[in-house]
Amino acid sequence: MWKSPKSILLAGTVIAGVIGGAQAQDIAAGETVFAKCKACHMVGEDAKNRVGPVLNGIVGRAVGSVEGFKYSPAMTRAGADGLVWDEASLASYLHDPKGYLKGNKMAFAGLKKDEDVVNVIAYLASLDADGKAAVPGKQSAAPAIDATQTATAEVAAPSAGTTGRLLGLGRTATPEEIAAWDTDVRPDGVGLPEGSGTVAHGMEIYDERCATCHGDFGEAVGRWPVLAGGQGTLQAERPEKTIGSYWPYLSTVFDYVHRAMPFGDARSLGNDDVYALTAYLLYLNDIVDDEEFELSKDNFTSIRLPNEENFFDDDREQEPFYADRSEPCMTDCKPGAAAITMHAAVLDVTPEDGGEENASGGGID
Amino acid sequence: MTSNARPGASRRAVLKGGLMGAAALAGGAAASRAAASESVITEIQDWNRYPGDGVDARPYGTPSPFEAHVVRKNVPWLTSDTISSINFTPLHELDGIITPSGLCFERHHSGVAEIDPASHRLMIHGLVEKPLVFTMADLKRFPRENRVYFLECAANTGMEWRGAQLNGCQFTHGMLHCLMYTGVRLKHLLDQAGVKTEGKWLLAEGADASGMSRSIPLDKAMDDCLVAFGMNGEALRPEQGYPIRLVVPGWEGNMWVKWLRRLEIGDQPWQHREETSKYTDLMANGKARRFTFEMDVKSVITNPSPQAPILHGRGPLVLSGLAWSGKGRISRVDVTTDGGRNWTTARLDGPSLPKALHRFYHEFDWDGSELFLQSRAIDEHGFVQPTKDQLRSVRGANSIYHNNGIQTWHVNSDGVIENVEIS
Repeated sequence: MWKSPKSILLAGTVIAGVIGGAQAQDIAAGETVFAKCKACHMVGEDAKNRVGPVLNGIVGRAVGSVEGFKYSPAMTRAGADGLVWDEASLASYLHDPKGYLKGNKMAFAGLKKDEDVVNVIAYLASLDADGKAAVPGKQSAAPAIDATQTATAEVAAPSAGTTGRLLGLGRTATPEEIAAWDTDVRPDGVGLPEGSGTVAHGMEIYDERCATCHGDFGEAVGRWPVLAGGQGTLQAERPEKTIGSYWPYLSTVFDYVHRAMPFGDARSLGNDDVYALTAYLLYLNDIVDDEEFELSKDNFTSIRLPNEENFFDDDREQEPFYADRSEPCMTDCKPGAAAITMHAAVLDVTPEDGGEENASGGGID
Repeated sequence: MTSNARPGASRRAVLKGGLMGAAALAGGAAASRAAASESVITEIQDWNRYPGDGVDARPYGTPSPFEAHVVRKNVPWLTSDTISSINFTPLHELDGIITPSGLCFERHHSGVAEIDPASHRLMIHGLVEKPLVFTMADLKRFPRENRVYFLECAANTGMEWRGAQLNGCQFTHGMLHCLMYTGVRLKHLLDQAGVKTEGKWLLAEGADASGMSRSIPLDKAMDDCLVAFGMNGEALRPEQGYPIRLVVPGWEGNMWVKWLRRLEIGDQPWQHREETSKYTDLMANGKARRFTFEMDVKSVITNPSPQAPILHGRGPLVLSGLAWSGKGRISRVDVTTDGGRNWTTARLDGPSLPKALHRFYHEFDWDGSELFLQSRAIDEHGFVQPTKDQLRSVRGANSIYHNNGIQTWHVNSDGVIENVEIS
């Protein structure tokens, strides 16, 4: 018989452990426990019956049902009586193989620790009938949890819910959907659409749709962005950072005009119009000088902006004061009393103070 | 009518009278405590006698009308149009480390997108095994995390590069807030799509009319970034990217793309407008730094400060401020009252979380003399907040971004405070 009162009681305690969360299931720990089983049992996509049957997909499987394995009469009979390997029956069996199912031929004495039982079942449950991970991500041991803000001791151990396992959520994006949103362009030309446009055509569009903010020649109206000029000013007291003087890549112009311009009516320009406007902005910046010049997907990457070489990657850590992590001075750090060298009140540009005419600019746009 | 209008005016007058009376007393040389009886105590006040609003009056609570001055503010001359502009968090009116949702500074490039979450989608594509589209309902079925992080615009304090300019920490340091975000790990979403090994960069794009886009190194995306739908326990506010925004802990605010709709994996950065023409740091020699993502160790004294002068006269004074570092926790804040000649270590109070604001206090007796207040933060890796002169000595005055220099407030004997630079 496979259901003695004793074994039911035993199963009950183990299940209580699982449900009560006293022992969180740990698939990775279960895989370690499974090392004890490997002498006789195989799992995985290439698993074969050995001394014991293949254990792929065992959780939920009828007892004694693996094809080609020669079970003991006791095991075969239990299966015929309807016993299924679920978490409860496996727990009881693994605790006391001989006691739970008398007459079966498994030579293993049983797992003594409840947590080992729970974890090895969790591991077996993570494998489907083909030996693949039914719960992907389980093989990568512990979940990648950011300890930085959960570092306080009281915070609970991560549950299975915080692992990066595949949940099968979301659906496949269609090519049409990707095309609708993926308009970005890179300096190497990746993302450029088919099309072309001339400086002359760009000027027509610009005068109609851009000049009210950016000025007739890209000089800007008010504080709207200046688009042209400024070359040679990057070391001046008031640098003028324009497409021609500062921007490193022409692709940025195309991408940005396409995604965000004209202001107030974004994404309303066709590809040919964007090529034409980009060509006209090259013209306003004296990078091309022929009104008949036509910019297209084919010649786009041949054009380089003058300031491309003057960008370098973040190297703040090389700065002497930045790199100096020594203990700062605490007493008598400077001679004499402090004297004011500059007042904000003199500039008088704070909104509540009323004056705004002397502002030296912030350039946050 | 709202409750603002009904009792506000008369109560305000009474309260103001009371406060000024108290201030006058305290200012009077701390000597005599035997004061005249106050009418707010000896006379029955309206609120002692008549009932106030019932529970239906304010289904979504708002601050007391007496706090109506605690608001975000714009600096009109900075930009051409409020639609593509910024306002500033009133740091001098706040305490603790969490910024109230309605006071978090706003930066939009084409106004606040109003998006029905039922019509919002997040797409992941590019160098992935399987391009995916998520609905909001999908995103809320992923495991969630709650994290407190500061967000600082890289241009915060940018108007001060050439010298003291704006009179108030709201304007000099108010492109800053700190919230508890609820969201899902970006890594979990990317794992669903399966990032290919050649993927090295992520392009994040917003759904608003500016189509905000930034390139983010994949290592950062797979580390601690979140796709957040919650702030301070409720849904994101529209101006903070409702229904979802990217959270890029410790890195410049512009990368925290709001109204997030698209994540593309690529093998190199896209060099878009916000990472070339903007958010690059022009040096004195005309060359420019790019990809300066991380926000440096920084602090500011929020009280007293130009918008929060000392009104109580001599005697016990609570100096308070904020410190933060994009590299982790703040380990120490020093303050000085003599313009950096002598420093005292301030008291950190409240939670100390990595890449979050830290609150510091320094209590002392003010003797009514002139003060030059400064704070200096040190983070857990030993990085020390530099002086503005140190920054300028290496970077010049045209950088705009990443100004984490030590701020000086000058306090005169009347308790009036000004933003200054000193020798």
